[in-house]
Amino acid sequence: MRNPRFLVLMSLSCLLASASARAGELRLPGSAVAGQRLTIATSGDGEATVYLVGPSQVLKRQIRLGAEIQIKAEELRSAGRWVAILREGGNSSSQVFFVRPGRPENLSFLARPSRVPVARPGAISGIAFVFDQYENLVLQPTPVKFSLSVEGTGASQSVTSKNGVAWISSSSARKAGAAQFVAATSDVSVRRVVQQVASDPCNLRMRVVERNNNATVVETDPIRDCTGNPVPDGTIVTFTQTDSSGRSTVDARIKRGIARAGLPPASNALITVASGVVLGNELHVGSGQ
Amino acid sequence: MKTSPRRAVNIAIALTMFAVSTLVFLERTHADSKPSVQLSVDQATPREVDDTVQQAIMRDYASAWQALVSALNNNNAGALSDNFVGFAQDNLLHRIQDQQQAGLKTRIVDRGHKLEALFYSTDGAAIELRDTATLDAEILEGNTVIHSDRAQVRFYVVMTGAEDRWKVRVLGAGEADVLQSR
Repeated sequence: MRNPRFLVLMSLSCLLASASARAGELRLPGSAVAGQRLTIATSGDGEATVYLVGPSQVLKRQIRLGAEIQIKAEELRSAGRWVAILREGGNSSSQVFFVRPGRPENLSFLARPSRVPVARPGAISGIAFVFDQYENLVLQPTPVKFSLSVEGTGASQSVTSKNGVAWISSSSARKAGAAQFVAATSDVSVRRVVQQVASDPCNLRMRVVERNNNATVVETDPIRDCTGNPVPDGTIVTFTQTDSSGRSTVDARIKRGIARAGLPPASNALITVASGVVLGNELHVGSGQ
Repeated sequence: MKTSPRRAVNIAIALTMFAVSTLVFLERTHADSKPSVQLSVDQATPREVDDTVQQAIMRDYASAWQALVSALNNNNAGALSDNFVGFAQDNLLHRIQDQQQAGLKTRIVDRGHKLEALFYSTDGAAIELRDTATLDAEILEGNTVIHSDRAQVRFYVVMTGAEDRWKVRVLGAGEADVLQSR
């Protein structure tokens, strides 16, 4: 009675062994890189379906087991955790593998603000996120060169990215104009424009240019900021006259670099001038002044 | 008080069905609810992350993952634009399109996220976070589960301020992310 049972068991074992020998298997490479060709070896016999499920894509292949699966460089775009699933008949088996980002080929550059007064310490910030060709964040430290210049003069600074980000904080230049703010790696550069405008007026001075029975006309000297940049036309300058009858105020816009206003006639008055938070000189007008 | 065998079988079946339906309900409820999010800001540079921003980041990141889980499960990108922008949104749209074409779905049970703030810009416009997420994932071909695992996955996340919330701009995975899988 033992021999037939033994033979049956042996036969079943052989059948199972041969079946398992033919079962499909994927052999994934130890490392894979986004944007580079990937070859997956397979074993077994027959037809099967392979799914490669990545963070931002899914690849599906009908394959013949035993042959290699070739994934083209342009097909493998997504870095991160992938799952390779082999579907053979009603069975499935899966493995996890990782795809690293490729080399840095893109920068996402945030430059703030778009408009800034000159000579303002730490007023400009630049943040560069480093990506590969397929917009995967590159975590490897990468040197990023930031440069800020107006009409060819400026400064640059190299910063090594950490966790995919490099940043600087910079003072605005002393010269007004459209500053070119550039972030660059070895392969790519991205440019932003930061408009640097004159800062608050400096040494705001006025004088009486005309005085008659109808009005007292006052006019400023050319209005500049403390680094010599002309304050933009349209900026409001406020003239205030105080006398025994009360206070008169005129808001005048800078036109061609100066501001001008006509104030009511007064026999004895104090005139002041201001623009924003900046106060200018005072004038006393009256008999003989 | 004797119970007939047939009645006992009926009760057993009813109890089993109740237990299964409760489990399914709880699992679905878990999948559709906002995941738990913890945030540590000790490492954030160059600017400190104030309490209001911390609360907003946790709220909006949880909301983003809720939308992501729903989108991958239903192959529907409808809710993504409220929570994702830029590369992160593009990448998820590609994944959903590819899933649809391949006849797959991904069912995720989100077990929570531990966030560390790494970078917070001086102007407060952008924040980079490292997320260690615990996720149960199943990949389905039709209604057949063809892969399942539980893993701790590390993501590098960039969020930027939008009109009324923070949106995920980058959702990238680093190397050696899986700490455990089954």
